[in-house]
Amino acid sequence: MGKFPAIIGVGRTRFGEHYERSPEKLIEEAWLRASKEAGIERKDLQAGYVADYFLPITNKFGLEEGFLSELTELHVQMEITRSFSSALFNACNAIQAGRYDLVLVGGMEKMTDRWDKIRDDLMLLEDPWSYYAGCTPEANHELMLRAYIKKYGINGSELEKFNHALAYISVKNHKHALKNEYAQYRREIKVEDVLKQRKIARKPLGLYDFAPISDGATAVVLANSEVAKKYTDNPVYVLGCSSATDYITFPSREDLTHFLVTRICIEDALKMAGISRKDIQLVELYDQSTVMEMVSLEDLGFVQEGKAWMDIYESCQDYKGYYEIDGKRLYVNTNGGLKADGNPLGATGGAQVFEVFKQLRNEAGERQIEIQSEPFYACTLELEGFGTKGYVYVFGRGWNE
Amino acid sequence: MSSEPIERRVSYVGDRLRGSRCIFCGKEYFDLRDYCGNCGRKSYGKMAPIDFFFEKGQLEVCTFVNKPTNKFTKLGNYIYGIVSFHNGKVRVPGRLTDRLWKENEEIDLSSLEGREVVPRFRRRYAVKKSEIVPTISLAFTFADEYYPYQEYQAVKPNKEYEKPGIVGYGVYVSRFRIKESFMERSVPFIDEDAITAAVEAGKLALIHSGVDSRLIGKVYVGSESNPYAVKPIASKVAQVLKLGEEDKADGVQYVDAVDTEFACKAATSMFKDAASLVFYPDSHTPCAMVIGTDNSQAAPRGAPGGELDFFVGYGGCAFIFGMRDVIAEIEGWHSCTSDTPDFWRRDGEPFPRHGGRFTGDPAYFKHVGKAAKKLMEKLRLQPSDIRYFVSHQPNIRFPVKIAKTLGFKEEQYQPGLQVARFGNTYSGASPLGLAAVLDIAKPEERILVVSYGSGAGSDAYLFRTTSQLPEKRERQKFTIQYQAQNPYIEYVDYGTYRKLKLGLETD
Repeated sequence: MGKFPAIIGVGRTRFGEHYERSPEKLIEEAWLRASKEAGIERKDLQAGYVADYFLPITNKFGLEEGFLSELTELHVQMEITRSFSSALFNACNAIQAGRYDLVLVGGMEKMTDRWDKIRDDLMLLEDPWSYYAGCTPEANHELMLRAYIKKYGINGSELEKFNHALAYISVKNHKHALKNEYAQYRREIKVEDVLKQRKIARKPLGLYDFAPISDGATAVVLANSEVAKKYTDNPVYVLGCSSATDYITFPSREDLTHFLVTRICIEDALKMAGISRKDIQLVELYDQSTVMEMVSLEDLGFVQEGKAWMDIYESCQDYKGYYEIDGKRLYVNTNGGLKADGNPLGATGGAQVFEVFKQLRNEAGERQIEIQSEPFYACTLELEGFGTKGYVYVFGRGWNE
Repeated sequence: MSSEPIERRVSYVGDRLRGSRCIFCGKEYFDLRDYCGNCGRKSYGKMAPIDFFFEKGQLEVCTFVNKPTNKFTKLGNYIYGIVSFHNGKVRVPGRLTDRLWKENEEIDLSSLEGREVVPRFRRRYAVKKSEIVPTISLAFTFADEYYPYQEYQAVKPNKEYEKPGIVGYGVYVSRFRIKESFMERSVPFIDEDAITAAVEAGKLALIHSGVDSRLIGKVYVGSESNPYAVKPIASKVAQVLKLGEEDKADGVQYVDAVDTEFACKAATSMFKDAASLVFYPDSHTPCAMVIGTDNSQAAPRGAPGGELDFFVGYGGCAFIFGMRDVIAEIEGWHSCTSDTPDFWRRDGEPFPRHGGRFTGDPAYFKHVGKAAKKLMEKLRLQPSDIRYFVSHQPNIRFPVKIAKTLGFKEEQYQPGLQVARFGNTYSGASPLGLAAVLDIAKPEERILVVSYGSGAGSDAYLFRTTSQLPEKRERQKFTIQYQAQNPYIEYVDYGTYRKLKLGLETD
């Protein structure tokens, strides 16, 4: 594992509404937790890669780097990216290129500071032409769902089962979040609640099918694998990372039922990591909606296209904490996913890495999954926009080799 | 969006639904492309411009929007989806318009998906009154409902006339109506206004006339309800309908466009200008378009000027004038004017006021009567020489009274009297009456049209229909009769009517 960048500490805030706190305060809390875990001082940092989508809009921040410099009293290189995964990508590159040995990767978002206008911002960022035509942040998910149902000819009693399967995803994620002290929603919901919200909205998807609007921050300390050994015996390695891009206008994409970026990314990331898909036991994927979780399972190649809902349905009849696919366990969104853990855009990817880090180190407490076999690998999928960009990471632990 | 350059770029593409096609591989794109992604550099500068404005598409998938983004909240709930053109070669996002969803109304998406839709030029979303009015044609209605899909085909003209005249026309009124006692009136949908009606009417006139839009050298738009105090409707019409030659490099149309204002005769006043222009050989203007359009304004009932609220309608009416393939030649005209302040709206005021009982005798009847009589005298015609009489119609009483006074019989004035079906469409009112008559007239019939504009003045025109009138009729399904009696008409209550009429404006 010598050449792979290593994570030596992670930290995060609770996700949800932080009315009384500024974004700098949130990232400070995340950073302090991560640095404590890593056992480093801020002066040890050689660079910072920090993500946020909307601070220039929500908080009228222009130069976030300057705020961070002032906060940390550091004068090192700082770079702002949109998603956490994008920040991590840059950090990995810098470490692998030998430029830096120890860097901070962070993410923060303060969406509730612009509570009344954030949906317009989100939609305009996601897909401008669709926004002009009247699209909402929810509508593209529903269109994908409609296209999916059509493509795979799901109807009659199957359709009812299918709709239940999607509802189970939300129920399942809420269940996971019960054990996550940082999660935005720590309460159980029932399938009936999800279905009822859809009925109220008179739409294919309702309130409980979508991830919320959140504030929050996450931080990760990333090091060169040699340097990592100085701080910890059990770092988590970034074995594979990949990114891909798709057309911003959703209707102009060839396939309306899946995300091309995910398909490209998973292949590249697995290749880079030199492992096979079946070695992955845990996935933190980008469930902005229940449809996104279902479709992503297929895009990542864990389930055949058009079939994921069947495995979800069966697994959730008597849910044991994982999806059972072809007789194998696949743990998905053990932190509660975006649905229940929260979705403060810039910080979200950091929460995925946080979860994977804890699980791989066997430090996830109540949430700890039962490791099926060694080596134990996990992956994350983060999307920007409505699948306009994708990032897949493969993580592994090296200490038991 | 209050950025003018962004607004210009978005509406330039979005209003006309402009796209590009690769001349090598045939791949099509929505939005303008300099080169094709398939063919790469060799296709640079070789992309053919296309647009979907006159096309029909298919609603592939859709969903219900019950919680729109902020700028769309005034639109209420709506269906949003993906529309494909050219058998799926191009897909665009789109909103279904012209539909009011009732609370608790069941929505079956699969009954909407797969159906054919037509693009409609509409307001995009709500903005403040001080901002640029954003428009878009990514709004659609079903092709088999109120507004039918109609092909636009430029037809080579074959007959040259000695006198100029009408070569085609189009009338647009919305599918929403309010019915009160003996009157039905057209009500704009919330995303409609005088601009959108002008474009619709112009589009329908192009379809009916078969005139190549490049041959139109000037467009006049008469209105008293332009959402702008300063900025013409005509420029929007010219750009969306691609009137005149197009300079593709810079997105300019080689056409003259101007708005006119004279209360309800703003459009008819320009008939003679359009006719003279196409008649003058050195103008090199084969055709000119005149549009009367109004989302007729009225204060709420009870407020000063609120009496008008019982009569106002909404619609646009476009006439194309030329010398070739004429359907009604102009035999003469006569106008009269006096400075009579019977109806006015001061700058910055939202609603017009009127002079009560002075709107009759010293205003309407005097001017309409004088213009009509003078023209008949000039042409040495008696009412019996004229098959149809059409006058401005602010209500039912006035036009009937003046017709009788002038000696016209019911069968002469009744066909052109449309106010009880659509309301007073202001600048479009007498043109709409003329269109109703042209819809049914036979060749070689004389029509006397007299407009009236408060302020005050009247224009009288004498038209004589030609043998080409019935031929062209087949090209237009969207006739006055079709719009007056249509199974898809939706009646709204007074509260809804007021809300729809005020449209997408925020304070």
